[in-house]
Amino acid sequence: MRCPPPMIALLALCCLPLVPHRLVQATAQEPDEERTTVGGYGEVHYLNPTGPGTPGEVNVRRFVVYLAHAFSERIAFRSELELEDTKIEGGEDGGEVALEQAYLDYTLSPAATIRAGLVLPPIGIINETHEPPTFNGVERPSFERNVIPSTWRDIGVGLVGAIPGSSGLNYRVFFLNGLVASGFTADAGIRGGRQEGKEASFANPSLTGRIEWARPGLRLGGSFWYGGSAAQDPVLGTGSFDNAVALVSADARYDVGPFMFRGVVANVSIADADAINAAYGGQVGSRIAGGYLEGAYDLLSTLAPGSTHRLNAFVRHERYNTQAGVPDGITRDDALARRITTVGLSYKPVYNVVFKGDYQLRRNRAGAGEDEQLSLGVGYQF
Amino acid sequence: MRASAPFGMTAVVALRVSVLLALLSLPAVAQSAPPARLAKSIERVYGDGAQVDTLRVDSARVYRISRSGTLLGFAQVRNVKGKDQQITYLVATDSADALRDIDILVYREPYGGEVAYEPWRKQFRGKTSNAALQVGKDIRNVSGATISSNAVTRGVRRALADLTAWRAAGKLR
Repeated sequence: MRCPPPMIALLALCCLPLVPHRLVQATAQEPDEERTTVGGYGEVHYLNPTGPGTPGEVNVRRFVVYLAHAFSERIAFRSELELEDTKIEGGEDGGEVALEQAYLDYTLSPAATIRAGLVLPPIGIINETHEPPTFNGVERPSFERNVIPSTWRDIGVGLVGAIPGSSGLNYRVFFLNGLVASGFTADAGIRGGRQEGKEASFANPSLTGRIEWARPGLRLGGSFWYGGSAAQDPVLGTGSFDNAVALVSADARYDVGPFMFRGVVANVSIADADAINAAYGGQVGSRIAGGYLEGAYDLLSTLAPGSTHRLNAFVRHERYNTQAGVPDGITRDDALARRITTVGLSYKPVYNVVFKGDYQLRRNRAGAGEDEQLSLGVGYQF
Repeated sequence: MRASAPFGMTAVVALRVSVLLALLSLPAVAQSAPPARLAKSIERVYGDGAQVDTLRVDSARVYRISRSGTLLGFAQVRNVKGKDQQITYLVATDSADALRDIDILVYREPYGGEVAYEPWRKQFRGKTSNAALQVGKDIRNVSGATISSNAVTRGVRRALADLTAWRAAGKLR
């Protein structure tokens, strides 16, 4: 049927009063009360490495405040503000005040929430889930610091949600700012290249994502990150994906009865490591790789079967090398091929409070500068 | 609903109308579930043709579910705080006060939504208020979603205890 234009205009006019009415109906089903919530986590450490001239040290390692606000059932703001080492003072090392997350979620459906702002690349276990009661050991796994540079946060936009029709499959994908190669180092890989949302260069974008599958007691995940790192340094290049860094990672968490297992592996390729080293005089590896495995057992399941407390005895073994591959002309430093074994206990009177103690053997292929460390700590989240 | 209503479309429509009428009479309050979502959940748990009556017990709202005059069970919608938001969930019992199912009606947290999936929820089926209902004991957690797993389990434990106590005290029948 064809309508003359005036007829269409008239029809549109007639429909106008219906529009506000339908909007009211739609919103009437959604609570309109806004709410703000506060939460947080923190950890206090006592670390005592072996060897002369290394006395024990106590530190409020992290004090973190969450602030979240729900504007409606679909729109929420979430943030995480962190104070490390209790204070920052001019001219002194250590101490940091940092915004670790600050983003808006707009939920379109269970399959798609738009997430925009300062977000966490969804890689490994610790980067997204780092509250002290969620992991064993006083310090976070060293692998998830020097290979996967947790806490890694950058600015951009993405989508998160459940894959429709699947049972337990989730995805997250983000388009974020890239890394800056001038910060890469031989011993901590790409860690120093993170921009952490501070006046970050968007000369090089990055794409990161994750698919994970969860069942009761089990979570498997696979993640990637791909982006440039040249930051328009004329020596390195001005293209969006110049000096590309490619990271792939897989992780697993499995809890069965009193046993808990977790593991992460990752491989980072820096194809142009030679150009980066030529530009900045470093010894950055062209490949960074490794992983860890951890097993834990709840001793109270045998000692006090009726108890709701947990006392996890755990052992974790990490192996990683930030120079698993080196460009021509660089001599591998075997001290960077690290093996760290941690044994310890985590006592959790409730699931979000933990008292921890562990002993770490820190070894490397060169046998240089090896040491051991006793660590004690408390942690909480709410 | 007319007893002579034929099976098929009419019965389904009648059910939808009765469920929706019961649910739409609720005032819109913060952190509630959309009525259509709740109606769908009750239909999934108790099947087609169930009658939903809204009861008041103390200050709480409880749904009495029956079919052709036979009691099927009771259901309640509650909220429990997850990491930073309320999780709105349904607890549904059978006529013997055992859990028929639970459902996550609205999940608002950024991570941990797997507690809404069938493989996790089905652990609750058949549990009575005598069960421990503790994560790590008779309920397996969702790895990486510890807060949500514990929050929902705690919430279900409390709701089931209340429903069972109200029944024993004759406040629900």
